[in-house]
Amino acid sequence: MSGDTLHGGEAALRHAGREFLLVLYAAYRNLKLYPLENAVVQKALDELQAAATHLLEAEGELEVRLSGDFIFVNQTRLRLELDNYASFSQLLGLLRRLGIGAMRVEPGMGRREWQIVLGVLLAIAARDDEEGDRYVELVERLARTDVTHLTLEPATELDDLEDAARAREVAKRTYAQGVAVTKEVVNGLRIGRVASIKRVKRAVQLIVDQVLNNEVSLLGLTTLRDYDEYTFTHSVNVCIFSVAMGRRFGLAKIQLYDLGLAALLHDIGKVRIPLSILNKAAGLEETEWRTIQNHPWQGVIALFGMRGYDELPARAVLVAHEHHMKTDLSGYPRAIRARALGLYSRIVSVADGFDAATTRRAYQTIPIQPDEVLREMYLNPRRGLDPVIVKGMINLLGIYPAGTCVILDTFEVAVVEGVNPDPMFLNRPLVRLAINADGGPVPAPGIPVSLSDRNGDGFARSIVKVTDPGRYGITPSDYLL
Amino acid sequence: MTASPEFSAVLPTSQVEELVRTLVKAQRAFQMYLPNNPVYHRAREALSAAFTPIWNAADEIVLTVAETDLVWEDAVVYSQLSKPESFAWGLYKDGMRVLSLRRGVEETEIVRFLDVVNRVKLLAADAADDLLTLLWEEDFQHLSYLFAEAGAEGHLPTAEAPPAQPPAAQLVAAVREEVAEEAARPKGTVDIDDFDSTLYFLEPNEERYIRAALEHEYARNVRGDALATLVDVFELREAADAREDIVLALEHLFPSLLNSGDFHNAALLLRELRVALGRAEELAPAHRDRLEALDARLSEPAIVTQLLQALEEGGLEGAEADAAELLRELRPSALEALVTYLPRIPEGTLRRLLLESASRVATQHPAEVLRILKHPEGEAAGGIVELAGRLRLEPAVPGLGEVLRRGSPELRLAAVTALAAIASPGALAHLERALEDAERGVRLAGVRVLGERGYRNALRRVEAVVMGKEVREMDLTEKMAFFEAYGSIAGPAGIEPMRELLEPRGVLRRKVPPQVRACAALALGRIGTPEARGVLELAAGDKDLIVRNAVNNALRGRSE
Repeated sequence: MSGDTLHGGEAALRHAGREFLLVLYAAYRNLKLYPLENAVVQKALDELQAAATHLLEAEGELEVRLSGDFIFVNQTRLRLELDNYASFSQLLGLLRRLGIGAMRVEPGMGRREWQIVLGVLLAIAARDDEEGDRYVELVERLARTDVTHLTLEPATELDDLEDAARAREVAKRTYAQGVAVTKEVVNGLRIGRVASIKRVKRAVQLIVDQVLNNEVSLLGLTTLRDYDEYTFTHSVNVCIFSVAMGRRFGLAKIQLYDLGLAALLHDIGKVRIPLSILNKAAGLEETEWRTIQNHPWQGVIALFGMRGYDELPARAVLVAHEHHMKTDLSGYPRAIRARALGLYSRIVSVADGFDAATTRRAYQTIPIQPDEVLREMYLNPRRGLDPVIVKGMINLLGIYPAGTCVILDTFEVAVVEGVNPDPMFLNRPLVRLAINADGGPVPAPGIPVSLSDRNGDGFARSIVKVTDPGRYGITPSDYLL
Repeated sequence: MTASPEFSAVLPTSQVEELVRTLVKAQRAFQMYLPNNPVYHRAREALSAAFTPIWNAADEIVLTVAETDLVWEDAVVYSQLSKPESFAWGLYKDGMRVLSLRRGVEETEIVRFLDVVNRVKLLAADAADDLLTLLWEEDFQHLSYLFAEAGAEGHLPTAEAPPAQPPAAQLVAAVREEVAEEAARPKGTVDIDDFDSTLYFLEPNEERYIRAALEHEYARNVRGDALATLVDVFELREAADAREDIVLALEHLFPSLLNSGDFHNAALLLRELRVALGRAEELAPAHRDRLEALDARLSEPAIVTQLLQALEEGGLEGAEADAAELLRELRPSALEALVTYLPRIPEGTLRRLLLESASRVATQHPAEVLRILKHPEGEAAGGIVELAGRLRLEPAVPGLGEVLRRGSPELRLAAVTALAAIASPGALAHLERALEDAERGVRLAGVRVLGERGYRNALRRVEAVVMGKEVREMDLTEKMAFFEAYGSIAGPAGIEPMRELLEPRGVLRRKVPPQVRACAALALGRIGTPEARGVLELAAGDKDLIVRNAVNNALRGRSE
């Protein structure tokens, strides 16, 4: 811990709060791995006690509260950062699994009390069965101990559901606005009208807000496939994927905006490509391909022509130019001046590659399944993508990204809704059943199921394979929106 | 309207009104005064204090923004019907409908909020920002707001209709078929084990990699890279319409670069353009001309003057290297403006930079120096003469000679100094003319230089003066200068004429004034040979005090 008080206001509280959560999770993990008397465990308990005491002395209170994807310490939201996000997500998953909504620590909480609390948490979390309410059991077991300085509050499911519904609505509005603004910019530029950067900015800011507040709802919308609106939805999707990845990489809010703006405008050069080529359904001639491959540098011209120098979206210029260049610069367009692909270009390349490959569009009539695309992006170096960024994308979407249609070992067909919040089960996503084992269709939004749910000794359901939703008459987005 | 009874019991409406009044006053004070002004400081303190009674009763205050009013708990706590003067209207017109202030906002965020409100007032209607976008960038923690439903526009795209769903039996069969196929294959194609086991977390080295890339992203000159990219596209793409668009963009861009003070990138752009012009293939003559004109424009006197004015007024703190970089790009046509501006700039960094730039151009382009010198009546004449001397610019000598013939007295004097600094045979030849100048100062400066240099070609003219009658009309200083120059130039050959003046015999004795005799003694002192000293020693006891002093000084090697 640094400093003796929390002078320095919120930043200091955030720092101390983060330290507390990290030592809390470290103590939990060490107690899980080693016997109590092990020095590592003892040291972890000492640190936990010290961190809690420090906060209590400085703040007079210590409350940890969960809300959506966020953890608040004493009403202050902690920022997710690159060096702690794994521990945070583990802790978040643990508290969720146990149904804990808030944890209040009173002054006087002793080291032995911490040891008991962690022991009870471990025992209940380790239980495989789904019997009973874990939260109730947790409270009952703690009541039988000497722990008197810690109180718990259950997660309020109703609030969560209402929040989720509200978040979905906001996400839909955000997405719709993103598409509307992109359409306005693209169509405007085609007829030589000056684009309103203000409106583009607002749209990107909304996307950043939504990703920060509830990225799952927005990521779900990227599964929406509209052949006719591809140009616009693709830009919005790439923006969403890029911002969500940027968040995982620890980018600050204003940096997420820079990235989001660049991502939204990455294909702007297509406004200078004839629609007859862009929309050509049949196979493209060699010269037509070459024309389409001009869109990165056409994007540079389009962006320079949009506004004055003071408002030049310079990062967007670079991303528009570089997003097909590949990390070894063997892609297109060719450049003379020495350059290395910027981080944002590498992020947008991955987001662009994923969304384009998983979508049916004019010159790709058969979309590829999302898991296959991720696999190819990760394993095939000739794609020229940055492997660390691809890892970040997999980290974001899971092996089975939202919208993937899967066949389960129960002979049910389901649509992946999102990554399992428990990082232990990232290969067991949350799904929505779309077709039951008898072949009966389950109307949208389907039945929500976690593939980490157990049934006796094993899992209740497992993925057998990924399949083409079209074969089963399923539109994945129907189950996610 | 009044506040709801339960709230007004703990927080009287009057206190909220007082808070808003203080807020509006502070907004005006912040608009009019700089942060180091006492008025600004007082307004800030008053604003912070106005929150105290509010936080004693509540943790948050939520204001509804009506067109020209602010409303709290159904009570109007601020009203100003004149829209241009209304604080509420400033928020309302950009879409704000609710403003919430929470405990802690009084520390710093309220000041930042008012700063944004004031900045928005200055934005043009088509600016890239408005209240909402700027507030968003501030990322407030204790202040939130609701805007008119900006997201209501647009609609979700309609998902494509899937193929009709087959009957249940067919679906079951299809599922079982796929499961069977999968079972027959080697281990599943989507098994997590196929992937790297650490796939879900970045390794520490990968985290460092991302962090370093992010740092690089924000350390790079992103605008410069974008400009270089544009030039790259220009160079590689031969399509006339694309090149036309790029040239147009650059023509608009370049003044903006200068206007925004981005000198580093302005210089970078010019350099890149020169490279591109040098190697771009099949470049249309019109495009080449326009891009070359762009480069030349920077050096147009009017633009250079604007640039120098901007540098002078804007200060150079932190921008010295950028300014130097741009000044290095100036062409010969900038010289006239540079040397015109130079005398106005006091000693300091800017003067040093301008001098470096002017020196570089003048050294590399003496023809431009000569061109400017041809117009001694011009504003730039003084600066260019001084520069030519400072640089000892030999090619400028004919021009300086011209100035010596036609310039004003001050300019002629400056030309003498410059020619003296150059001191080449050509320069000294021009200096001879100074001996006949109508202006005493010019003559004096000229003869001193010629004397110091021992310029023998001037002997005839100097001798004509010292031996002639006109010397008697000169004041003592000028006389001394001519005689000393004579001594320096003539050498031993001058002993006899000077002896005759110092010790005139016969009828001449009464005709040579003591000042002339004294000056002859100084000339002999300059000659300095034993023979000359011998003459001086003979005159050491002269009856005339002036002569005696001069002789003694000459013997001691002094000229006063």
